[in-house]
Amino acid sequence: MNDGAAGGPGSGPAPTRESWTKRLFRLREEPPYWLRILLGVSSVGFILIVWAALTSGSIPEERAISPAVLPSLGETAESLPRLFGERGLIASIAASLTRVFLGFGLACLIGIPFGMLAGAWRPFNALMTPLVIFGRNIPIAALIPLTLLWFGIDETQKVMFLFIATVPFVFSSAASAVVAIHQRYVETAQTLGASPWQIFRKVLAPLALPQVFTDNRQLFGLAFGYIMLAELVNAKRGLGFLIQISQKRSQPEDILMILVIIGLLAWLIDKTLAWFQRGLFPYRRDL
Amino acid sequence: MSEDRPSPSDAPPADPEALLAELERDTAEALAKAKADAEAEARAAQPPEEAEAAAPVVEVSAPADETPAPEVDPPVVAFRNVTKTYGDGPKAFTAIKDLTFSVPDIPGKGEFICVLGPSGCGKSTVLRLIAGLGPQHPPTIGEVLVEGRPVTGPGADRGMVFQDYTSFDHMTVEDNVAFGLACRGVGKKERLEQAHHWIDKVGLSVGHDARKYPHQLSGGMRQRVAIARTLILKPRIILMDEPFGALDPSTRMQMQDNLVALWRDLEATVFFVTHSIEEAVYLGDRVHILSSSPGTLLREIQVPPPDRPAQAMQRDPEFLEYVFDIRDTIETLEASRRAGDD
Ligand SMILES: Nc1ncnc2c1ncn2[C@@H]1O[C@H](COP(=O)(O)OP(=O)(O)OP(=O)(O)O)[C@@H](O)[C@H]1O
Ligand SMILES: [Mg+2]
Repeated sequence: MNDGAAGGPGSGPAPTRESWTKRLFRLREEPPYWLRILLGVSSVGFILIVWAALTSGSIPEERAISPAVLPSLGETAESLPRLFGERGLIASIAASLTRVFLGFGLACLIGIPFGMLAGAWRPFNALMTPLVIFGRNIPIAALIPLTLLWFGIDETQKVMFLFIATVPFVFSSAASAVVAIHQRYVETAQTLGASPWQIFRKVLAPLALPQVFTDNRQLFGLAFGYIMLAELVNAKRGLGFLIQISQKRSQPEDILMILVIIGLLAWLIDKTLAWFQRGLFPYRRDL
Repeated sequence: MSEDRPSPSDAPPADPEALLAELERDTAEALAKAKADAEAEARAAQPPEEAEAAAPVVEVSAPADETPAPEVDPPVVAFRNVTKTYGDGPKAFTAIKDLTFSVPDIPGKGEFICVLGPSGCGKSTVLRLIAGLGPQHPPTIGEVLVEGRPVTGPGADRGMVFQDYTSFDHMTVEDNVAFGLACRGVGKKERLEQAHHWIDKVGLSVGHDARKYPHQLSGGMRQRVAIARTLILKPRIILMDEPFGALDPSTRMQMQDNLVALWRDLEATVFFVTHSIEEAVYLGDRVHILSSSPGTLLREIQVPPPDRPAQAMQRDPEFLEYVFDIRDTIETLEASRRAGDD
C-alpha cells in the first residue's frame, strides 16, 4: 500500500539514502556545503592529529620527534603573543602583502592585456613565445641577485623581482584562455559585422576573463611564495624576513606559526577573490 | 581570391581535352542558369497557388535549348565550378567538387533554399563559402559570387545561424540581440528598443527573458536569440546550418512556423541546411540535394511554399508525397552515382 502513495517528492527514504552514498562517487558533482566544510576541516584535522601524536610526551626525550625539529602544538601556539608583540607580525604581513599586491598587480596589469592580445593575434604570440618560455623557467636563485644589481636593495627590487618572476605565467595564462575560446564565437561576431578590434574587446576578452581570473587566483599563491624568497635578502620587514630571523634564533615554533598564519591569510585572500569572481561573472554558474 | 593561394597541385590541367570539357561545362552552365532565371521570373509573377500546382518534382538543372538570357540583375548567390580541397599532397581531401549553381535575384522577395545531403557531403562547406569563413573560404578552384561580386570575407550582409555555441555567454539576451547594432555604433537606447522588438518577434518575452543570460535559457530559446540577433541586421542573405538540429520535434515545428512568419517580411534569401526532408520540404521554395563526398549538386527540386502551420501541413498527404518523392530521388541518385563510381 505504500507503493501507491510514494509518488510525492522526497517521500521514499530508501532512494534518498541510496543516492546519498552513490552521489559521493558521482563524477564532477559538488557535494553539499556542509560536507565540503567537513571534508576540508578533516584534512586539516588529520595533519594536526599526526602532529600532536608525534610531539606528545611531557619531557622532550620521550617525544617521537625532538622539539628542536618539531615543536608541539602548544609550544607553537605560545609563540603567538611574541610574534604579534615584539616581532611585529602585523607590520611584516602588511609589508609582504603590499609587495605582492604591487609586484603581482603590475604583472597582471601588463600580462593580462598583452597575453590576451597574443591569444587573439598569433604573430604577437610567436614573437613572445621564446621570451615567455625563458621567463617561466628562469631560476629564482639567479633572479634575486640580478634584480639586486639592477634595482638596488630596497622596495623597488622586491616589487620588480616579483613582477619579473610572475609576468610570464600571467601572460601565458591569458594567452591560452583566449586561444581556448571556441572559434564559433568569432565567426558569429564576424557574420554580425564586428571588426577585429570589436571582436577582441566585446567577445574574446570578456569570454576569456573568467578563466584568466581563476588562473591568477592560483598564480597569486605563487607570488606570495616568491615574495618570501626575496625577503630573505636585505629586508627589514616581511614574513620571509621573520622566518629567516626565527631560523637564526632556532625558534622552529615561530616558523610553524608564521606558516599557519600564511596559510590562513592565503585562504582568506582566495575566498575574497572567489567572492569577487562570482559577482563579476554572473554568467558562469560553474565558478 | 584563389589566385593568392599558391596551390600547384590544384591548378586545372592544361591539356586541350580538359579545356574543351571545361568550355562545354561553362556553356551548359550558362544555359542552365538562363533557364533557372527565366523560371524564377515566371515563378515570381505567379501567385503561390499556381506554383504549388506544378508537377511535384521540377528539375531546373537540366540543360535546355534556349537562347541565353537577357541581361538581368546578377544572381544573389552564384557558385562557378567551385571545388574545395582540404590539405594537399596525399592527405588532400576534396569536400565539394565542381559545384555550380545560382540563385536568382527576385526583386522584393528572397528565396528559401533548403540544402539536403548525407552527412559529410559538404553542406556546411557551401554555407561557409558563402559566408566567407575560413578554412572553407577561399575555394580551391572556382568562384563564389554574392550579388555579382566575389566573396572576400565575412560580413553583416550574410548573417549566419549555427547549431551550437550560438550565444555570447557573457551577454544578456538583449545585449546578444543588439550585438550587431552595437558594432555599427547604434546608440544604447535605440538598439535596446530594436532588440526588444525582435525578442518579441521571435517569440520570447521581453519582460521575462531580456535580462537573462544564455545559460538560463533552453536550447530552443537560445536558438531564437540567435535568429533575432541575425535578423535584426536585415541581412540580404541568411545562412542557417542545421539551426534546429538539436531540438525536439514539437519545438522544432514551432521554430519552423516562427521562421516562416519572420522570413515573409524580410525579403532575404535563405540557405537552410537540414537533415530532415520534412523540414526542407516545409520551409523551402527549393531544395538542393547534394551528393556524398565529394559533394556535387545532384538536383534542385521546387517544392510548395509553406501556407499552413507546420503541424497541419506536414500531415497533409500531398506534402508527404513530396517528402517520399525526394527520399526516393536521393536514394536513386545515390545508388546510380555509386554504381557509376565503381
Ligand atoms: N577544416 C577541414 N579540414 C579537413 N577536412 C574538412 C574540414 N572541414 C570539413 N572537412 C571535410 O569535408 C567534408 C564536408 O564537410 P562539411 O562540414 O561541409 O559536411 P556537412 O555536409 O556539413 O556534414 P554534416 O551534415 O555532418 O554537418 C567532410 O567529409 C569533412 O570531413
Ligand atoms: Mg555541417
